[in-house]
Amino acid sequence: MDRTPQGWIRRGLQLPRKSIRFKLLTFFLVVAIIPLLSLGFLSYRTSSDLLHVQFGKYGENAVSQLQYQIDAQLRQMRLTAEYIHSYLLDPTKSVITEEVPKSYSQIQEKNNLEDFLKALKTEMHAGVFIVTKSGYFYGENTLMPDVLRQESWWTGISPEFRGQYWTGLYETHHYRADYRDASRKVMGLVVPIRNKEGPLKESSILIEMEADDIYDQLKRFERDMVASLTIRNSAGKVIYDSLGDREPQTDDVIWSQPLAENDWTVEARLPYETFYQSSNVIRSYTVIGLALSVLLALILAVWLASKFTSRIKRVKDSMNKAGAGKLQTRIEVDSEDELGVLGRSFNNMVAQIQTLLDEVTRTEQQKKEAELRAIHYQINPHLLFNTLNSIQWKARLQGNEDIRKMLYHLTMVLEGNLDITQELVTVERELAMIDHFLHIQRIRYGDMFSYEVDVDQGAAEALIPRMSLQPLFENIFFHGFEDGEGLITLKLQAEQELLRLTLQDNGRGMTEERARALLNPGSKRTTRGGLGVANVDQKFKLHFGPQYGLSIESTPEQGTSIMIVWPRKESASHE
Amino acid sequence: MKKSAMLLTAIMMVIVLALSACGGGGNSEGSKDQNKGNTNTQNEGKDGTGNATIRFATWDTGEALKIQQEIAKKFEAAHPGIKVQVEPYGDGFDQKLAAGFGASNPPDVMYMWDFPTYYKSLEPLDGFVEKDETLQIDDFYPGLFAYNKVEGNLYGLPAGFTTRVFYYNKKLFDDAGIPYPQDGWSWDDMKAIAQKLTDKSKKQYGIGVRADNDTYDLQGFVWSNGSSLISDDGKAIEGYMNSKETAEAIGVLGQAVKEGYGVLVGGKNQQSGDDIFKAGKIAMWESGIWPLEGFKEAGIDVGTVEPPVFPGKDVKGVLAQSAVSIAKDSKHKEAAWEFVKFYVSEEAIKMRTADLPIRISIVEEKGFKEDALYKPFYTMLERSSNAPAFLLHPNWSQINRNLSVAVEAIMLGNNPQEMLDQAVKESEKFLK
Repeated sequence: MDRTPQGWIRRGLQLPRKSIRFKLLTFFLVVAIIPLLSLGFLSYRTSSDLLHVQFGKYGENAVSQLQYQIDAQLRQMRLTAEYIHSYLLDPTKSVITEEVPKSYSQIQEKNNLEDFLKALKTEMHAGVFIVTKSGYFYGENTLMPDVLRQESWWTGISPEFRGQYWTGLYETHHYRADYRDASRKVMGLVVPIRNKEGPLKESSILIEMEADDIYDQLKRFERDMVASLTIRNSAGKVIYDSLGDREPQTDDVIWSQPLAENDWTVEARLPYETFYQSSNVIRSYTVIGLALSVLLALILAVWLASKFTSRIKRVKDSMNKAGAGKLQTRIEVDSEDELGVLGRSFNNMVAQIQTLLDEVTRTEQQKKEAELRAIHYQINPHLLFNTLNSIQWKARLQGNEDIRKMLYHLTMVLEGNLDITQELVTVERELAMIDHFLHIQRIRYGDMFSYEVDVDQGAAEALIPRMSLQPLFENIFFHGFEDGEGLITLKLQAEQELLRLTLQDNGRGMTEERARALLNPGSKRTTRGGLGVANVDQKFKLHFGPQYGLSIESTPEQGTSIMIVWPRKESASHE
Repeated sequence: MKKSAMLLTAIMMVIVLALSACGGGGNSEGSKDQNKGNTNTQNEGKDGTGNATIRFATWDTGEALKIQQEIAKKFEAAHPGIKVQVEPYGDGFDQKLAAGFGASNPPDVMYMWDFPTYYKSLEPLDGFVEKDETLQIDDFYPGLFAYNKVEGNLYGLPAGFTTRVFYYNKKLFDDAGIPYPQDGWSWDDMKAIAQKLTDKSKKQYGIGVRADNDTYDLQGFVWSNGSSLISDDGKAIEGYMNSKETAEAIGVLGQAVKEGYGVLVGGKNQQSGDDIFKAGKIAMWESGIWPLEGFKEAGIDVGTVEPPVFPGKDVKGVLAQSAVSIAKDSKHKEAAWEFVKFYVSEEAIKMRTADLPIRISIVEEKGFKEDALYKPFYTMLERSSNAPAFLLHPNWSQINRNLSVAVEAIMLGNNPQEMLDQAVKESEKFLK
């Protein structure tokens, strides 16, 4: 055996082609795995797509919610500023000064204005002020204007600016420490007062709202969504940015929402990996599920395949045994399915083969016996014929015509009888030999019997086993007729495939039992004549098959009719 | 195959659930709170005193608020079944309180000082006081009740009070070799001392003058000069609010600024007087009991003295009082009374540090009357017998707006008489 690795591989590659079990296994696996894989892939794709859509919508909504909340706050600030503005546009308020109010009416107006500002201030407002150019301010006494004037966002406002200046989201240092903690965030709005005339013309409304809530919300959003948030104004100035050190990537998932109140835009950035993280989870679960299912399918396939193939293998093994000659081999049949039927047919087949083989063995043996017997009887024909010829000559010289004729006909009969070179002879020749036999009988008994022959045209050329009719005729004379007296009719009918020969006499006949016994070669021989009939029958059967041969119909004291059927064959030499 | 499909379904369900949980989280919490609220009100409706939550509104913040919360906790411990919810209204006290009364949903117990404005919404306490001997009403300083009565009915129990004195920085006096002021000192004495202790190069001044005075606090000076802001019958301000004596009493402060021995504090752009005094930059500072602890903590060697007198006149004081009242609309008046009683009990009063004890027994126990620092507060309590203006006219808050303008203008150097005349002129309409 080839024990090199190449040998193993070669045998491993050959195995699949040889083993039905492997083919079945492969088939089962393919059948199970293809739908499994496609279904798994499909459900993974569908669910992750669904998830992305959902998550995307969720993110959009969350950003919209942020936008809405910031907008709500900004709107409140804008409205507060507008109220103050319209209050200041009232011409009766012209007493309000830019410098520290000193006179009674100035102080009175200051108090009125501050009451108004106080009324506008809600819990959400960190401060509502009007800051004048000189550094004086109206509003609650919580502001430190000196600090305010140094804040960069404050100094960054151009004196020419008109409209709403959103200062952003920042910590406050410009409030008195006992009023509020500087680390708390506010959102600011500065609106320069539009009065062309009047003392407050270069003053600004400053509104700051507590932004800790919004700041918390931004932080919560970042935490929940694992996203970074950026708020920018249209000029690109960053109001809020939690991006930190992370570089914005081009494949980031971005939700962006412009504010309605001002030019800010809220933008949430989610790293690509984070966005697809959940679908990765689905993917790994799908893969695990698929792997488990494939394993299950494999186990099932192995089991099923071995279950099927073990039975096939059993059949195969039995066939191998039977092939090797053990014809007693039988397959154990335990099911009614195709394999069971196959097993049963196999069993039948082997049984038939066995019977046939027995038959063949028996026939072969019989043939051998016959041959041996033939050899046993074989006398030197020349000696016999020369002697007979000498006797014939003697008879002629002595003028005994009857003896000479009898010897002549006997010689002719013997000639046919002793020529063992041909087993099959033409009907014509067999009938000629019968004529010689009948001549002998006529000399013996005198002209006591009549013989009628009726042969269909063309039947004379057909083949018939040698010396098959003579024993029958002999039986008629020895058992049927009394002193050679009676009528013999021979009729040969040629059908398409068959020849039908009927030999009828009007002799003594016989009982039915005897007629049956005549054809049975194994039955005890009581008279000499019986053996001949059975031998004739056997001759036909041996030459043409068991379905051919003799049948006897006989009625005691009426006569016997022997019928022979055999297939029609022409002599080869005549063609 | 089935297995993987089930697995996927399970995963999807988990995700969907998680998403919906995220979305619905806020709502469910909200409704939970609502439910909580509902059960509370149901409980309250069922049971008057047994299981009640009473709301207590205070204007205090910071340390004072913490003390009040501790008092509430002690009360809860002593009164199982009653919960106290402290609601710090802070600066928005008046607005929130007015809103609560307006909506018939006021706090059950609240701090109170402005009885003329709110008494109609408050529960008269006379019945409770008469019934409940454990209150020991006789232990209170009798002068305190004058502020809490409207039309003869008592609407609040005093919880703490202060009178106003002059603080002085002993170190500055010592450095300048000036003797400490004594009770009975005059405004002229004050001016002389202040001038001596003013050193503008060191930004040091003799006295601090508030830019935004509460006119209520100035009444002590007005009374000390024999005048008042409104007639005793509450019908006239002409000749009272703008009398020569009133103008002089208020004018002394404006004069101090104008003449440079006083400094304006507490307005816009300025530090508060308490802070400047703590920094040792003003020698004398008029105030109540509130900043005393802060001065001590700041390491200032501080002394107290009664306010100066006008020549030949008795010095008068003004009382600032924190009282506690029960809302007329309260659903748990019995429980509220228990809390009010506890709030003015010896145990609770002793816990308070921001104002002075209202019970004679505690003052005696602590020996405040013998303590030089505290003594002036109690001598001034005895001198606080005048009725403050807000008790005398229902429209006083409108009148006061004009008076405040005048006072502010005076501090900024305007003529006191002219300013007060204008205030009176503009306020006459509110008297009718």
